[in-house]
Amino acid sequence: MPDIPTEAETLARAQAGDPEAFGALVEPHLSLFYNAIVRILGNAQDAQDALQEALIGIHRDLPRFEGRSRFTTWAYPVCVNAALMVRRSRVRRREEGMEVRVSHGDGEGRPMEVEGSLDWSVEAEALDHMEQAEMRALILKALDEIPETHRIVFVLKDLEEWETEAIASNLGISLALVRQRLHRARMALQGRLKSHLSGRRP
Amino acid sequence: MKKAFWFIPSCPEVEEELTEYLEGAPPFRRRLGIRVHLLICRACDALRRVLEALPALGRKALEAPEAPAPEAREALAGALARIREGGPGGRDCGC
Repeated sequence: MPDIPTEAETLARAQAGDPEAFGALVEPHLSLFYNAIVRILGNAQDAQDALQEALIGIHRDLPRFEGRSRFTTWAYPVCVNAALMVRRSRVRRREEGMEVRVSHGDGEGRPMEVEGSLDWSVEAEALDHMEQAEMRALILKALDEIPETHRIVFVLKDLEEWETEAIASNLGISLALVRQRLHRARMALQGRLKSHLSGRRP
Repeated sequence: MKKAFWFIPSCPEVEEELTEYLEGAPPFRRRLGIRVHLLICRACDALRRVLEALPALGRKALEAPEAPAPEAREALAGALARIREGGPGGRDCGC
């Protein structure tokens, strides 16, 4: 039975230019890379294109990877940056007229739609009420419906768990604007998901 | 909730500032006002819990499936084809 090469051996062969070794190196991490990208772009076709560019970039820069960190730690930001580059190059379609409005109260000082949220299942265990695939589709759809500038901040902060300062630096915006966009995104998402989650708690 | 004391913000103000509050961004006095508001306003506190729960909910719902999506496999196949061709994005050969 032939020995299965270690990741270090596969990495060395990939760094030497062996395409099959490169494929074997990245294949176990494809889901991780692809999911990071598709969350940012919210579109499977764009994500496929961005991932392909990211993989090309990883292959190009692989000789410079010195193995001081895990391969995924080194490669993951390349994928996120590829997604951000695709995002930057996109025509800002759908932005106009889609500014999400946050409710500002009912005239009595009470924020509109908040009372209904009292019945929310606010823990992640709310997923138990729905099939994972259904919730996944619902959240992806909701993410796709909010403005891109807001979605990117939500993804980086709440899903990828970046620091606020890193987001501000990467996007070239202020900390206050990061928080404002994050808030708009969260409010928009809770508004879209609420009807699917409330009232399902036994 | 109507404004009871000068330092306690109203519901719309709290709703607007919840994310900043959760990040600890507002000055101490503002954070205190929001904190007191949340202690006495069930509606705004419910919204706070929803916003706090969203990241975990999203991460759990969107966590990577074990098998790569077809689009991910297509991307790898496309990248490998380009690498084998030595096309755009290939490594410099130094010549």
